[in-house]
Amino acid sequence: MDFVVTTLLNALTLISILMLVGLGLAISFGLMNVTNLAHGEFVTVGAFAVYFVQSVGGSFWLGLTAAPIAGAVVGCILEFAIIRHLYSRPVSTVLATWGVSLILQQGLELSFGLGAKPVTPPIEGTFDLFFTVYPAYRLILIAIAMLTLVGVVLLISRTSFGLDIRTVIQNREMAEGVGINTRRTYAIAFTFGAAIAGLAGGLVAPLAIVLPQMGVNYLANAFFVVIVGGVGSIGGLVAGSVFVGGLTSVLNYQISPSLAQAIVLLAAIVAVRLRPNGLFNGASR
Amino acid sequence: MIARDRNWLLIFAACAALAVVYPLFADGYQLTVIRDALIFGMFAASLDFFWGRTGILCFGHAAFFGIGGYIMALITLNDAIPFGSLLGIVGAVAGAALVAAIIGYFLFFGGIRGSYFTIVTLAMGVICQQAAVSWSSVTGGDSGLIGIPPIAFDVGGIHVDLSQDLPSYIFVASIVAVVVLALWSISRGRWGTVLTAIQDNEVRAAALGHNAPLRLLVTFVLSAAIAGLAGALYVCMAGLVAPDLSGLLLSTEVIVWVAVGGRGTLLGPVLGAIAIQRAQQTISSFNPSLWPLLLGCVFVIIVFVLPDGILSIYARLKGLFKGRRQAQ
Repeated sequence: MDFVVTTLLNALTLISILMLVGLGLAISFGLMNVTNLAHGEFVTVGAFAVYFVQSVGGSFWLGLTAAPIAGAVVGCILEFAIIRHLYSRPVSTVLATWGVSLILQQGLELSFGLGAKPVTPPIEGTFDLFFTVYPAYRLILIAIAMLTLVGVVLLISRTSFGLDIRTVIQNREMAEGVGINTRRTYAIAFTFGAAIAGLAGGLVAPLAIVLPQMGVNYLANAFFVVIVGGVGSIGGLVAGSVFVGGLTSVLNYQISPSLAQAIVLLAAIVAVRLRPNGLFNGASR
Repeated sequence: MIARDRNWLLIFAACAALAVVYPLFADGYQLTVIRDALIFGMFAASLDFFWGRTGILCFGHAAFFGIGGYIMALITLNDAIPFGSLLGIVGAVAGAALVAAIIGYFLFFGGIRGSYFTIVTLAMGVICQQAAVSWSSVTGGDSGLIGIPPIAFDVGGIHVDLSQDLPSYIFVASIVAVVVLALWSISRGRWGTVLTAIQDNEVRAAALGHNAPLRLLVTFVLSAAIAGLAGALYVCMAGLVAPDLSGLLLSTEVIVWVAVGGRGTLLGPVLGAIAIQRAQQTISSFNPSLWPLLLGCVFVIIVFVLPDGILSIYARLKGLFKGRRQAQ
């Protein structure tokens, strides 16, 4: 029994992280049609922000506040300098953002040096969950991720800014026609997605190996989440995260991580073949 | 013959002539450097054959290069297999083609195009490298496999042995020339025209009776097969195979070679590969971690300054002078 609960909680940890990383990607890739290969670096930047704050004596929580800010700053610069000039050239966006991703990785390596960076969790120890004992920090991580997701859903569905975003996504020309500044909306939405990815990086930092190259794994998995789940809805994001995260954590128990990755990739490809519009969306769209 | 084709053939002939006279002036080491660069050039041409004609970017092309290399290494290192070199090449090409066929079938017939395809192939590259590292009982793990023998085989009573610099250079240069010429004649003919039509408007091309997913799949498989061939040749020349050969960095570099050389020209990527590798060796000798940083900058510069590659400078200059002449 405790084995099942532990597996479920491990899966839930991964799913929460994937949802946060995938959220920004769903905004830029799914809705703005921008393929941002530097999205993984927002996660890296968030994790390094926590490391940096801790290394100069700050607390973890201060670092976790800095993480989304760092992600947002990098995302905002990227949007202003590169992405907004390439909205009509998708392949160029792929190349340019990949270039930025290489520059950021090497920049981090040159400024922070080689090797994994240690990040200590704010709480050591475990929490007794009646069925099993589980690391307390992971429970906090899941809680923060869920709260963030609920916050984003409320922001998009209840505020006037969320209405702007939904309008621009549905029909950019029409949105411009009714007086919405679409450039500004895109920029804010993109920066917002980067901030969430930075937060994900900060949250995952105590559990992961913090390296300049850590982003690419999150990038690949987050793209799977968006592709498998289908774009355009929070439901699709959740479905995709459950699919990728759940499968990965269950497989990780049985086989080596890279074989598990390969199987997840194959499953994702087959899922896309069977449901081209995503697991969540119906056949019509 | 239209002027564009004539120009291409002229440049091809000039490059071939250069490759023929090069051994007269170069020593053994310089020959091997160009030989290895030519192999990577063929690899770049294989990517260009797919990317240039279909407009769909494969971000994990090194996976096929690595698959070809590992299959070649495993076959030639096994003494029980006769005709190791020839069987190795066949196996490498078939293996890469098979993987491409499986992945390509699901993607193309599932309606996956554009960015989605790029992402999935990116992940494929990441996984191939991880598999090469972690499946150490077969692939030798991080350190790879060493001691791969040079290519040697008998054809019609003649014994071909490529352990020397000059024969191996001639062998590689001829294969690259034949492959590039073959890819070019495919892509300028009817096949290439239909691919261009699919790239422009797939729905319309399908309405005219072309099986678009099948065309894309066959092109992708052919492109992967040639990448596998390049990988097989490379590991025999280098004598070793390592996970880097299927890694993300090589996938990235080959895109730069194609983008710098000029997408859709087939010859440009070969020249781009040779030129950039020269630059890379020079820069890496100063500081190895500087290279990826510069590579990143090259990506951004290409996109904003030279979207059509280095060769487009010539066309732009020509346009500039033409414009001036007309103005006068």
